[in-house]
Amino acid sequence: MTETILKIEDLTVSFDGFKAINNLNLSLKKGELRVIIGPNGAGKTTLQDVITGKVQPTTGQVYFKGRKITGLSEHEVARLGIGRKFQTPRVYLNLTVRQNLDLACNRNKNLLSTLFKTIPSTEKRHVVGLLETIGLTAKADLSASLLSHGEKQRLEIGMLVAQSPDLLLVDEPVAGLTDEETENVGALLLALAESHSIIVIEHDMEFVRQIARQVTVLHQGSVLFEGMMDEVQTNPNVIEVYLGKSPELTPEQMTVLQIIALFIDSDGLFEIDDKRQIISEVAAKFAGGQDPTLVEETLQLYLSEEIEWDYAIAQLQHPGQKEQVLQLSQDILTSRGMESSECKIYQTLVQQLTKEDVVPNAEEAF
Amino acid sequence: MTVDILSRSQSLKRERKRQFLLEGIAIVAIAIFLIGVMPLLLTPFRLRLLGRFLSLAIVALGIDLIWGYTGLLSLGHGIFFALGGYAIAMHLQLQLPPGQIPDFFPLYGVTELPLFWQPFYSFPFTLLALILIPSLVAGFLGYLVFRNRIKGVYFSILTQAALIVFFNFFNGQQKLINGTNGLKTDTNQLFGVVVSSQPAQFAFYTATILILILLYVLTRWLTSGRFGRLLIAIRDDENRVRFSGYDPTAFKVLVFAISGGIAGISGALFTVQSGIITPSAMDVAFSIEMVIWVAVGGRGTLVGAILGALLVNYARTFLSEQFAEVWLFFQGALFLIVVTVLPDGILGWLRSWQWGKVRALLGMSAPVVTYPSLEQDPEVQKERQEVGEDGNQ
Repeated sequence: MTETILKIEDLTVSFDGFKAINNLNLSLKKGELRVIIGPNGAGKTTLQDVITGKVQPTTGQVYFKGRKITGLSEHEVARLGIGRKFQTPRVYLNLTVRQNLDLACNRNKNLLSTLFKTIPSTEKRHVVGLLETIGLTAKADLSASLLSHGEKQRLEIGMLVAQSPDLLLVDEPVAGLTDEETENVGALLLALAESHSIIVIEHDMEFVRQIARQVTVLHQGSVLFEGMMDEVQTNPNVIEVYLGKSPELTPEQMTVLQIIALFIDSDGLFEIDDKRQIISEVAAKFAGGQDPTLVEETLQLYLSEEIEWDYAIAQLQHPGQKEQVLQLSQDILTSRGMESSECKIYQTLVQQLTKEDVVPNAEEAF
Repeated sequence: MTVDILSRSQSLKRERKRQFLLEGIAIVAIAIFLIGVMPLLLTPFRLRLLGRFLSLAIVALGIDLIWGYTGLLSLGHGIFFALGGYAIAMHLQLQLPPGQIPDFFPLYGVTELPLFWQPFYSFPFTLLALILIPSLVAGFLGYLVFRNRIKGVYFSILTQAALIVFFNFFNGQQKLINGTNGLKTDTNQLFGVVVSSQPAQFAFYTATILILILLYVLTRWLTSGRFGRLLIAIRDDENRVRFSGYDPTAFKVLVFAISGGIAGISGALFTVQSGIITPSAMDVAFSIEMVIWVAVGGRGTLVGAILGALLVNYARTFLSEQFAEVWLFFQGALFLIVVTVLPDGILGWLRSWQWGKVRALLGMSAPVVTYPSLEQDPEVQKERQEVGEDGNQ
């Protein structure tokens, strides 16, 4: 029987009456790697805030190694052995890599000992070892502002390890990384999991599949489901709230939306940020006053499947849908100040839709 | 690889030692020059001016510590400056035959010396008070502000508001500290010597230089070790500091208190060399000027703070002597120029690429300017070295 390292009991956090976390119970065994997923606003980050002492719960308790930690401030929680990695790498830009690590690995973080004590050689050697682990030995005496994004991520993870925590909280560690870097971070987390308990918060389902054993799904501030990854993927509740079958949309509307999404996503038409913006605008239009994030996530998921144009267009059944597709795509172009007559992709879309028109109509005639 | 790192850190250590030695020699040389040579070159009036500016450089050190390193812009250092000035002025006012009280009291109908004046009869107490009172006030103010995690512009506004409160209090209390007229020190005696006399002024001048050096060493020590790196870390990302297990509040309170104490010393030295302290030392504009000195010299560099204070004050003296009406415009322009063209101040500007130009002008080889990451990448350096050796053969 392994001991419980973190136990959360009946936790509720409300901000002005809005319950960001609602009666949540969670427990984590020592040495466990747990992934927490959930749609936006599910309370994932708030949960981390509560564990690390940034936010105090309205009701409920958090126990770390059997000790109550609600009511403690951030630095006290950190000293007990909980390390937190933020989503964007947060390192001290005006210090060198070595100095960054040195500050994190300081054993005694009181005011006076920081001021008067000379740095013991064990800590210096610890820093040298860490530099090697995170692969920044050559850049040890460079200012951290000169590091690349990936190097900063590695440095921050190094700083976290330097604190020698028992529990690591990691918030979206692969956001903005390339596939290769993502794999590296995954491997690093799995290696760390040998000797630490880790909670990872993640959006990227591919990455979750790579590292996850136990997954907790949060929804509207409570635990919706807890289990192994493959159970999560087949659980109907999870599919409904997270993987995004939005009940508000008819299948016909969905096909139209998917083609629009493909249109927006087509190469060279819009900038990446712009694409996301347009997709959320379209999603909002279709959500009809409901929360558009589900629709948006469904579309993103759809795009990640890399469907062929022809296949998608073949799904269109009614002429009305085609008109809708053309109308919407033209609206998008005009809203971005482009001429539909000058847009090649739009012209191809028109051609394809009108060409396909003939066949189903002919079939109907019989 | 490890051996490589160790040898590199050893050579770094040697380099650092050499730098410390050079710095020490430079400090001693400057001190000898200021104390031994300057009095021969300048008239007593000019020397007194230099002494005053040097004492203002001390408060610039304090500002640099709290703003340049820790990133907290204090617009209320006039409080601490004035508290130090008032402390020494009160002691000087009390240099009277027994039974008498300072001559402004009877004007307001006060016949008994107020109770809080009593301890200022003692010189040691005064010395302690002119450091401790400002630093305690700063520490208390800082504790209230930092504990509630007030930072950024709100901190600046709060310090300025506190400054105005203190100004109004000192301005209105005729019966306690002579209100808006302030306290004069020139005609009083210290250890039997009239304060405004030349020997006394020379002693103050020397003391200012020695204290400036002492405080420079103190701030240098504070900013160079782990403590100093933590201050920079607080400036860069306070939350990260907090989640790493440090309590930033304690560090910020301590630094603010030290900075306040330094300002108090500065105020005392300035007061005895200008002959008067009035509530106008807590003028909003004066506290902002202090920040400008540091900005001009280069924040985050201690030498820059000293340099900036001297430079701006000399510019002010020169310009207001020559063209009295343009000084204020010039000061505004100076601040604009620094903010837009020299965001790191004069020293920061020298330290970055301009240093190469200066070297080139002197006929030395200018360093190659490329991307900083290339410039400092050890692998690139090594390659460069190899290429250089081949080229020489």
